[in-house]
Amino acid sequence: MTRPRPRLSGLVLALVLMSPVSSRADDQDVIDYRQHIMKTMNEEAAAIAQILQQKIPAADFATHAEILAITAATAKKAFEPKVPGGEAKPVLWANWKDFSKRLDDLTAATADLARKAKEGGMAAAAPRVQSALTCDSCHDIYREKKD
Amino acid sequence: MSPVTRMYGVVAMVTALIASNAIAADDKEIIDYREHIMKTLNEQSAALGMMLSMAVPDDNAIAHMEAIALAAKMAPKAFEPKVQGGQSKPEVWTNWDDFSKRMDDFAKKTDEMVRVAKTKGAATAMGNIIEYLPCKSCHDVYRDESKK
Repeated sequence: MTRPRPRLSGLVLALVLMSPVSSRADDQDVIDYRQHIMKTMNEEAAAIAQILQQKIPAADFATHAEILAITAATAKKAFEPKVPGGEAKPVLWANWKDFSKRLDDLTAATADLARKAKEGGMAAAAPRVQSALTCDSCHDIYREKKD
Repeated sequence: MSPVTRMYGVVAMVTALIASNAIAADDKEIIDYREHIMKTLNEQSAALGMMLSMAVPDDNAIAHMEAIALAAKMAPKAFEPKVQGGQSKPEVWTNWDDFSKRMDDFAKKTDEMVRVAKTKGAATAMGNIIEYLPCKSCHDVYRDESKK
């Protein structure tokens, strides 16, 4: 009459063993996803910098600004799940109010930059690049650089 | 060799060295720039891929598609300067007609992807994602995977 108990224990053990694995996989997906977004912003900001330094023709400046704005708008949702890891410091979620406000500001500023670039080209938008791309001010607090 | 001839020789050599360095620097900029665009395409496609495999919610799907379509439009121009290097095989320029046609088709397809996503929903566009993003068929011919 005691046979079912070991079977049940086996099942519980299996569930316990499986659940951390699946939860780790989910966490890695969350980290990977937000990294795709941040890496896109990095690439686009670097392309804009090359154009501003006149190393590359300015024809596509407005398009880079638009991609930056679109991507910035996706970042907040990507950071909502509280999953420390990658280059994100845990303080990011401890100071969520500040961090999310900074992302909102970035979204608004890059949208403004993209609009200016579309309307008036690089000449009109260039003066706003520095105030729109305040990446370092946020990275200094919330990013742990892992080379 | 007279001192004057020797001086001309040195001047010519220095000029050539400076010129070659300047060209090398410009070439690196061109390679870096097109890599920024291709990496944007890669990162955004990967994000979309995660949504397709249901690893993350698909709230941002249309935004990722828009970013891909915009980057795809810029890509052909970024490859116009015939500067070999990075992961590009020399065939990009020796088969330029084919390569540029593929790039133009890619831009059109990603535009269509965005149009479908906006009019019929992201899920409908995701259903045809392989048709809209035929990245591998081009990479197999024109990308040197060994130079990562």
